[in-house]
Amino acid sequence: MSELQAGQGTALDVRADTKSTRYRDVLIALAAFVILALLPAFTGSKFLLDFVIRCAAYGLFATSLNLLVGYTGLTSFGHGMFFGLGAYGFGLMMQKAGVSVPVAFVSTLLIVLVFAAVIGAICVRLKEIYFAFVTLAFQMLIHSTILSWVSFTGGDQGLRGGIPRPPFLGIDLSNHLHLYVFSCALLVLGLLLMRQIAQSPFGYTLRMIRDNATRASFVGIDVYRAKLTIFVLAALFASVGGMIMALFVSGAYPEFAYWTISGEGIFINMLGGVTTFLGPMVGTVLLLILNDTVTRLTEYHGIVLGIVILFFAIGLRKGLMDFAWEWYVQRRDAAKERG
Amino acid sequence: MTRTRKPGISRRTTLALMGAGAASLATPWVAHAQAKTIKIGMPTILSGRVAQLGTSSRNGVMIEVEKVNAAGGFAGRQIEMVVRDSKGQPQEAARVARELVNTDGCEILIDAEASSGAFAVHEVARDLGVLCIHTNSETSSLTADPKQHIPNAFRTARQGVHDSIAGGSYAAAIAKAKGLKKWATCAPDYAYGRDTTGEYTTYLKRFAPDIEIISESWPKLFQPDYTEVVTKILQAKPQALYTCLWGGDLTSYIDQANIYALFSQMEVFAVNMADYTALTVVKNLPKGIHSGNRYIKTYPATAENAAWGDAYKAKYNEYPTNWSWENATAIMLLAEASKKANSADGKKIAEALKGLKIKSPFGADGTVTMRAEDNTLVGYAIGWGTTIPQEPYVPEVKPGDWKTILELEAEWKKSKGYT
Repeated sequence: MSELQAGQGTALDVRADTKSTRYRDVLIALAAFVILALLPAFTGSKFLLDFVIRCAAYGLFATSLNLLVGYTGLTSFGHGMFFGLGAYGFGLMMQKAGVSVPVAFVSTLLIVLVFAAVIGAICVRLKEIYFAFVTLAFQMLIHSTILSWVSFTGGDQGLRGGIPRPPFLGIDLSNHLHLYVFSCALLVLGLLLMRQIAQSPFGYTLRMIRDNATRASFVGIDVYRAKLTIFVLAALFASVGGMIMALFVSGAYPEFAYWTISGEGIFINMLGGVTTFLGPMVGTVLLLILNDTVTRLTEYHGIVLGIVILFFAIGLRKGLMDFAWEWYVQRRDAAKERG
Repeated sequence: MTRTRKPGISRRTTLALMGAGAASLATPWVAHAQAKTIKIGMPTILSGRVAQLGTSSRNGVMIEVEKVNAAGGFAGRQIEMVVRDSKGQPQEAARVARELVNTDGCEILIDAEASSGAFAVHEVARDLGVLCIHTNSETSSLTADPKQHIPNAFRTARQGVHDSIAGGSYAAAIAKAKGLKKWATCAPDYAYGRDTTGEYTTYLKRFAPDIEIISESWPKLFQPDYTEVVTKILQAKPQALYTCLWGGDLTSYIDQANIYALFSQMEVFAVNMADYTALTVVKNLPKGIHSGNRYIKTYPATAENAAWGDAYKAKYNEYPTNWSWENATAIMLLAEASKKANSADGKKIAEALKGLKIKSPFGADGTVTMRAEDNTLVGYAIGWGTTIPQEPYVPEVKPGDWKTILELEAEWKKSKGYT
């Protein structure tokens, strides 16, 4: 066997390996969807269903942010603008154009695509703090536009009067149960797609750019194009989160495009950890549980949440899933050593 | 080989316990529905810059709930309030409202949210069909726009358009008497500020057509420094100034404008001045600022109103706010409606509320009415007067004329395409 053949052999192995991981991911996603979809059969708790819908909205948003922060090393402070754009695009499309839900969904994605491409083209040239601040600036620009364009967006009172949801393909989103299953489907599908992006050769290119952009460009990678592509993709997934939120509250509000939403995204990533794919999803569940229980118990939730942030940032210095992953790896290695 | 049992709970027992726990968590409202108490949920803002909105709303509600409970509650059921913070975020307001109904088993919602939060809670009320009283949103379209209308939502707050008509006619009368032709405006740059200023000047010009607006300023909401706004107004040399700044913004504005002696150079009309949150905080309250009444215990000048204000002060060690009376009114109306329907059922109370007229310390003629056609409050005390630096702050208030207000409101609704 020549060296060339050997090289091909390993390449084939890797391909087969990624293929099997992909099947495994699809199976896990299917199982997760089935479990989530069957949940209402076991519990009548609307609170739980509301909780899962919100998890879907924030989870997609936070995981898409992790594609930028964790995988590419682009810390965006303005990712919330795409969450807001998704909510407003979808809401306005349904209210003013009176189109069907799938049409509004797809056209919102197209609108966000255009916005993200233009904003990304300007931002991804910059590094670190400059990137963070310019994304923040764009977010504030979009937020101010929403606030001042009262005749179109409703200004600071948001899109009023509810979002109409005509039934399509037998799905009636004004039915709470349908909305729940629909959100779960979007969540699982979105996570699966993002997982595929992260595990693809492109995903590994992103990690390389994160670790050493100069080296990546020497290898022949168009760093700018790769960064722009992931910026736009992440924006699209964030906007799906925004659309779920718009459906949940039956409206869109300027707060969805405010920097606090971006801040929450970053906080979720800190809570859950950025080294594992599911870290942000775990972070979302944690933050929402924390938020819901703490606001029930005390008016001083700010203090409690602040202490939790400090604990994670200064005490642990990593997210929960990072810990879980390290612990798992240690055990696995120890088991290997023992034979 | 013998198997030893570990002491403590076995795995099977644990599973059974967890199952039971989950089941009891999942179905709490079944128990609530038959309970003797009636829970009323109240999403409001208890943290952040406008936390005072939430606390004074809650105080206004609690002072009345205690009275109602002492008198037997709603058709024999004691009221239990569940007040929760929305942090001023509409999506949190929607979530909290849904949670209050779905999980905590609240049968009535008192929506003490501001601006966008009220519209978010309105959608929850539309979705869940629960009886909902909006107590703080003054945005007229919330009840005036037929697209917003749902039979289970009501408003017990004052309304932007009512204030503008009353304020416009009062200012026009003074403008005519004193020959004030050149006017300036100064309002916070967001929907409330823009809309209110627009409506106010429309009615001002309608009552006094020769008035001219020569300068407009739009400071940011919560702006700390008003120097450039004050100097801009002084340079324009208007004879009168209209402002709808409120709360901390209004008090900082007055403190800063005092340095430039602005108040001696023009007549000032500040619609939100006569509220204790502003009156008691300003360092040197100038004499002679014209203001609408937000809440003041001397207007309406009745023993009932004074007693209510004093009782509130005695209980909470501060004077009530505009939000306090609006929220207290919600409970008063609910109590009367429940008495009339002889029921604590939301649907029956909603039917009884329509067109209901009750005795009220806050009524212009001692009564307020829940107008049947659009489920909103009319007949509340509305008037304008001028300030003095010490209590009672606004000694004489000239009442607005509800006949004119209602006529012009109907006209306004028509012009907006609402009727």
